Amino acid sequence: MKEVLIKAVDAAQKFGAEYVEVRFEKLLKTMLTLKEGRVEAAKQGIENGAALRVLVKGAWGFASVGILNTETLTSAVLDACKMAKVASSRLKAPINLVKTKAVEDKVVVKSLKDPSKIPVEDKISMALTMNNIILGYDNRVKSCTVDYLDLIGTNYFLSSEGTYIEQEKLYVLSRITATAIEAGIFTFSREEIGSTSGYEIFDVETPEIVGEKVAKRAVEQLKAKSPKGGTYPAVLGPNVVGVFVHEAFGHLAEADLTLSGSILLSKLGKKIASDVVTFYDDGTINGAFGSSKYDEEGIPTQKTLLVKDGIVAGLMHSRETAHKFNTTPTGNMRAESFRVEPIIRMRNTFMEPKDHSFEELVSDIRFGYYLKSFRGGQANLDGTFQVGIQEAYEIVNGEVGEPVRNASISGNTLETLLKVDAAGKDFRLWPGRCGKGQTAFVCDGGPHVRIKEVLVGGSA
Amino acid sequence: MAVPKQEDMLSLVEEAVGFASKNGADEAEAYLYQGLTTNVSIERGQIARSSRIIDQGLGVRVIVNKAVGFSYTNMLENKAIVEETILKALSFAKASKRDENWHSLPAGRPSASVEGTYDGNVVELRSEDLVKLASEMLDAAENKDKRVFPIEGGVGASHLSHAIANSSGVANFDQGTIIECNLAAIGQEKGEVTPVCFEFNAERSCSINPQWVGDEAARLAISALGAKKVETKATTVIFTQFALQQLLYFTLINAVKADYVQRNQSAFKGRIGEKVASENVTIYDDGLCRGGLRTWKFDGEGVPQQKTVIIEKGVLCNFIYDDYTAKKEGRDSTGNATRAGYLSTPNVEATNFHLMAGNKSPEELISEMGEGLIVYYLQGAHSSNPASGEFSVVATPAWKIRNGEVTYATRGAMLTGNVFHVLKNISALANNERKVGQLIAPWVLVRNVKVIGK
Repeated sequence: MKEVLIKAVDAAQKFGAEYVEVRFEKLLKTMLTLKEGRVEAAKQGIENGAALRVLVKGAWGFASVGILNTETLTSAVLDACKMAKVASSRLKAPINLVKTKAVEDKVVVKSLKDPSKIPVEDKISMALTMNNIILGYDNRVKSCTVDYLDLIGTNYFLSSEGTYIEQEKLYVLSRITATAIEAGIFTFSREEIGSTSGYEIFDVETPEIVGEKVAKRAVEQLKAKSPKGGTYPAVLGPNVVGVFVHEAFGHLAEADLTLSGSILLSKLGKKIASDVVTFYDDGTINGAFGSSKYDEEGIPTQKTLLVKDGIVAGLMHSRETAHKFNTTPTGNMRAESFRVEPIIRMRNTFMEPKDHSFEELVSDIRFGYYLKSFRGGQANLDGTFQVGIQEAYEIVNGEVGEPVRNASISGNTLETLLKVDAAGKDFRLWPGRCGKGQTAFVCDGGPHVRIKEVLVGGSA
Repeated sequence: MAVPKQEDMLSLVEEAVGFASKNGADEAEAYLYQGLTTNVSIERGQIARSSRIIDQGLGVRVIVNKAVGFSYTNMLENKAIVEETILKALSFAKASKRDENWHSLPAGRPSASVEGTYDGNVVELRSEDLVKLASEMLDAAENKDKRVFPIEGGVGASHLSHAIANSSGVANFDQGTIIECNLAAIGQEKGEVTPVCFEFNAERSCSINPQWVGDEAARLAISALGAKKVETKATTVIFTQFALQQLLYFTLINAVKADYVQRNQSAFKGRIGEKVASENVTIYDDGLCRGGLRTWKFDGEGVPQQKTVIIEKGVLCNFIYDDYTAKKEGRDSTGNATRAGYLSTPNVEATNFHLMAGNKSPEELISEMGEGLIVYYLQGAHSSNPASGEFSVVATPAWKIRNGEVTYATRGAMLTGNVFHVLKNISALANNERKVGQLIAPWVLVRNVKVIGK
């Protein structure tokens, strides 16, 4: 394996590349989709491919091919070099990479239950149990989809600077959705399970626990009312805090987006949030969905402090952006597959817990909303965020009241972070998938959090 | 780019079907995909990278005793792995559960004839040519105004080919080209940053206009400066094509898919023949539209694509079907099975979702509405309730229209409502239709949309 990669790197260096990296990936996937208990298809995929990234005259060239032999790889890497050279013709500021230490390592995944050793019959039966619990919960639950994916593989990374890493990877993922209908009202509920530890995640997130949670939410939403649109105090559950940290703040702190004009660029080292706000991105949490030992530039992952007591303390960096900011890379360069280039992505992003109990957070609110679980979220460089909510309740006179359907919150990140006035002592991380052109597996989370006021949009 | 040969691709899929049948498949289908893409990318005001991606692979679907197995691989140069892949699909089918509703794979039918989907000039483009097109786009944006910062974008040219065969007589090949340029820009002034303003142009032949894309992205970015908050109230809204695409993709388009309908996930179930939209709304799913971004001779199961009327003058006429959902109702597939390359089994999906244009110019539409918002993009459309059609999104960037003229940009305005009410409140359509992803549509004017502002 290594010999073929070395030849490709040599060829690019002979061409005159300043930097060359070859990433070769082998993957085995098992996938299932069940709709109302019907196994649509039991699916498997075997794939491999190489991603070749070169820096020539200060511009990037990239090639991806699905064939691994010396001839194909050498021709692809030279193709990448030529393309980089062409692209460099219009360069104003050549790209430089910050210097890093060369690493040699071999990373082996240790799981209690290796998904590739579990017969597909067992995975089908687990998914069917999930389905049966959901459809059996209440006859108003009308549809249920269970998607399952496991992926195991090995990445081989070789750079012209002497780094060589063989890193195994493992992901187990399930997405469960249900709809309920009553008197013309449609509700929708979803949960995700994700882990890098192994199939043992289903011993904790059992079909019984997750299935009931999904079904119960779909049914309870049937009697929920629409929120009043407007500005209200709110308590956010850890699931919503997580997506808020990820969308409203995290993307702006990805250094490529910071440089692209995100509102954080002028705020480094400055106070942007209330004192209770401390954010981290951490790629080292064992088994968490966004964890791995090295990133796709061969940089070890780390726990990166992003905001400390309301002050912007750091960003997530590639070697390229670290050079621009005169700092060190943070192990956040990730690629969905060998078909694409690595870009800066979050890993496990969260807010640090503080000292309040849930009752204390809610008790002072005369009227507001408890936003417990999200449906989706999105951010913009100007700091506008939106988080759609799948489970919410009114807070009336300091107590959680009736359920509310299809709420969402939005606002400006900087204005909203200053209004975070208390954080709970609880903590939870949730797995999810983030889209930034490519999909990345991540975790988000935090404690319960109170916001003095936030714009709540309801349905008409 | 090295273009694959039709005979080679067809013989590979036919051999795969033969191998599966010989090894115990009751039915078998093989799908071969090859994509060659060259990109030149702009990052933060400069052309910074170029890439070439060659992706090819084979996906095999087999049926054993009414249970479905699927397997794919991209290691086509290795015959042993290809055979192992087919055997894996068989073993997965045997491990899976019988589906009593399984009928059969589609029978072979002649492919549809399509126009404007392949241009040899796109295949011939070199990265130098793409750099030139990207430069034209970048220059147009930067020359517009020094407050414009082009943050990312690029030009890409692709050649896609696919072949499919099954044990019921399907054996088809098609190829096509796509060329696309896009630019995202922001406006910056005195510490103010605008939301991302995006423009793009994708075509099947070498007819993109990168200068227009650069100019328009820059115009929007400048115009988005000085944004103000708006009042909470019901108002009239013009949705441009991007906003409309985001709104419809997660709601209406799902509601007309036969699998959503059959699975009780569509508000349109049992409502064929009913009035579901205003009189001026006519929508086709047009898999044959000349030069359409989703126009192909056949769909992901080898069924010829076709033109299907979805809503005619406000009345719901048809749903869209793949072969499985069609046979469940004893009817013919509408050619709406789509695959994510070789990586997936077919799913029901719209081809070119064509909302027919009206006869008003965009200027007339703006001047007639008097007061309201014009919305270019929606943030958070994917968090809509897919079953009920309820949405609660941020309109950004968007502009306030007053006395029939676009005045200032708005900040943080939320739009909430139900897409099925929106359909009924479409009061006018402009004559400026264009292609955005799977949508072909003009600007639409919608009355009575709830805006949540300050």
